[in-house]
Amino acid sequence: MRIASAPDGIIHIDGKVVTALDRFVASVTEIIERYTRYVIVSGYVAILFGRARGTEDIDLYIDYMDRDTFMSFSEDLLEQGFYFLNSDDIGEIYSMLCDRLAVRIAGAGRIIPNIEMKFKKDDFDRYAMSRAKRIQFDDIRFFVSPIELQIPYKLYLGSDKDIEDAVYLWMLFRETLDGDLLRMFMERLQVRGEPYGIEV
Amino acid sequence: MELRFDREKNRQERLAFVRRHALRVREVPNEVWSREQADLIDAFFENAQNFALSRSEYLRTCRRRRPEAVHG
Repeated sequence: MRIASAPDGIIHIDGKVVTALDRFVASVTEIIERYTRYVIVSGYVAILFGRARGTEDIDLYIDYMDRDTFMSFSEDLLEQGFYFLNSDDIGEIYSMLCDRLAVRIAGAGRIIPNIEMKFKKDDFDRYAMSRAKRIQFDDIRFFVSPIELQIPYKLYLGSDKDIEDAVYLWMLFRETLDGDLLRMFMERLQVRGEPYGIEV
Repeated sequence: MELRFDREKNRQERLAFVRRHALRVREVPNEVWSREQADLIDAFFENAQNFALSRSEYLRTCRRRRPEAVHG
């Protein structure tokens, strides 16, 4: 894998073939960006960097939006051919977000893949957003959570698939990661990587 | 009927594959690994149009399997 970090901090994955999933995610994040900040977390981060698996949902956090802004965002989203799986009532969708629940966005006529979107709510989410890495390939640009947080987070979730994602990211980035940061998140989430060869 | 399935062995085999795959992705040009990955993901994407569950059935399954995480 050739990954180039530009002086402005953007990570370029030159030559990466754009998948239909990338296009779907980009078409939604482009709309989100008109209204607020977002950060992609969890499985799709590993997939972006080459993990050979599909996914039915893409997790992302957004900054808080007031009700009027969210209504404009939703209108834009619906005009572009997307919908909320949870309800057709946008007021209800907004209430779910305010109750710290996730809402799901899919393309018209589809159930999967979908984007699972939440307001950011804790220190981990705030860190992921404030230190988000900007990834660029072809004409696509995404903001993704730092890998030093994603590996402990995946170990914390703990399913076979999550642990495989953590091991994959570790194998790919182990020489370039900030060991102190990785250790700090592992301690805070009370997870251990040694059983899986993740030794920091 | 007895099901002979060693869960731990299966897990270790999967992890070994993930490690091998990561090493290969590190070694080959982006055009190579991403072409292979795109073939797989695009096939999933295409097939997802035939998803059998309704909106409400799908959301029910999501609620059942999703743990509430610290970061999520």
